[in-house]
Amino acid sequence: MSSELAKTVEALLFLSSDPLSAEELGEATEATAEDVAGALAELAEDYAPGQRGLLLREVAGGYTLASDPLAEDAARVLLGRPRHSSLTPAQLETLAIVAYLQPVSRPEIARIRGVNAESPVATLLDRSLIAESGRSEFGAVLYRTTPLFLKVFDLQQLEDLPDPSEWDATPEEQGELRDRLLAAGDARSGTTIE
Amino acid sequence: MGIAELEFDLDIFSGPFDLLLTLILREEVDLRELSLAEVVVSYLDHLEARGELDLEATTEFIVLIAALLELKSRLLLPGEEVDELLDLEPVEAAEELLARMLEARRYRAAAGHLSEQLALAPEVRYREAPLPPELRRADLDDAPAGIWDSQSLARAVASLLILPPQLDLSHVLVARVSVAERISHLRSMLRQAAQLSFEDAVSGADRMTVAVTVFALLELYKRGELSWDQAEPFGEITVRALARTPAAVPR
Repeated sequence: MSSELAKTVEALLFLSSDPLSAEELGEATEATAEDVAGALAELAEDYAPGQRGLLLREVAGGYTLASDPLAEDAARVLLGRPRHSSLTPAQLETLAIVAYLQPVSRPEIARIRGVNAESPVATLLDRSLIAESGRSEFGAVLYRTTPLFLKVFDLQQLEDLPDPSEWDATPEEQGELRDRLLAAGDARSGTTIE
Repeated sequence: MGIAELEFDLDIFSGPFDLLLTLILREEVDLRELSLAEVVVSYLDHLEARGELDLEATTEFIVLIAALLELKSRLLLPGEEVDELLDLEPVEAAEELLARMLEARRYRAAAGHLSEQLALAPEVRYREAPLPPELRRADLDDAPAGIWDSQSLARAVASLLILPPQLDLSHVLVARVSVAERISHLRSMLRQAAQLSFEDAVSGADRMTVAVTVFALLELYKRGELSWDQAEPFGEITVRALARTPAAVPR
């Protein structure tokens, strides 16, 4: 039998559409952090995969109830749409830049990608994966990712994203690229002299 | 007279416009030295002197002066901004390009990671989110403390329920004149004289009475008791009793 606090926490998780942090739960229940942690542990056991149709998940900096993947097919029929629509490469690139460099402006995104970012930014805004977050000193609108982004990508916090430098080119690759660029530049200036 | 023959007397040039254009094109007059504003002002003076606007000539002038302006601005701004990369030495340009390519590559790879992450995310659904904050009319976090105090709600309603005191209008004199009153006034005057001037009928009356008397006149005219003449606008109005005016009919 669950403790009274565990039941209360369960009810709060049911009511909230946003993940609730342990602090928020503690504030609402007037319980100590220790007690809240205990109640959450109790709930985690109750909602362990395979126990119920719901799962207790830790996502986007808080705790929330989620449907079991088991129910996904039925949920799709009931709600009439997939969990999330797929993202195009341009949208994913834009989202990656916002996720790592936020808050970041659209001109900055365009500079990094080398192409206009208007369309992907509009789509990501529309799907609430990014949101406006003030303006830069030059007046450009800045964007950041939303809690929904963390939910969709199953992240607890932005810090869970891997260090992007791990994908950087190795010094050898960089040297090779540089040589190719210089060769291309020489070839072009060579043809203009002729 | 066409634009070409128009004479200009400017600081650095004096003569017809077409000669000025020729000299500029041959670079014998330095466009940078020429005040185009002065040319425009001279032309405006010329237009004013003529007193009429020849659209064709004016259009021609505008086209020519616009072309000169563009030419001059190009002369004044020799180093127009082109792509910054073009100004760089090949080695610098390659370095700049390389830096950009590496940065783009980093985030393309990050996008790939996000894509994988998306595919790996468990197939769970969360309770649908409420309206995004920007669409919510008010946020409880923004509400001042104590807004839930029922007393403050009662006070707010109470202040709305108190009727404001009625304004005391006793000091305002409301002139009351009725059409019936003015009709009997006109009738009694017409009984004494078959003809009278409107001025006499309203002598010493206020504007309201004058206006109501006009209504009374119209009413009596409709009943066929009187008629009137006015020789000119704002002139004297002469009111005459018609035969059917009961009291005016001599028996």
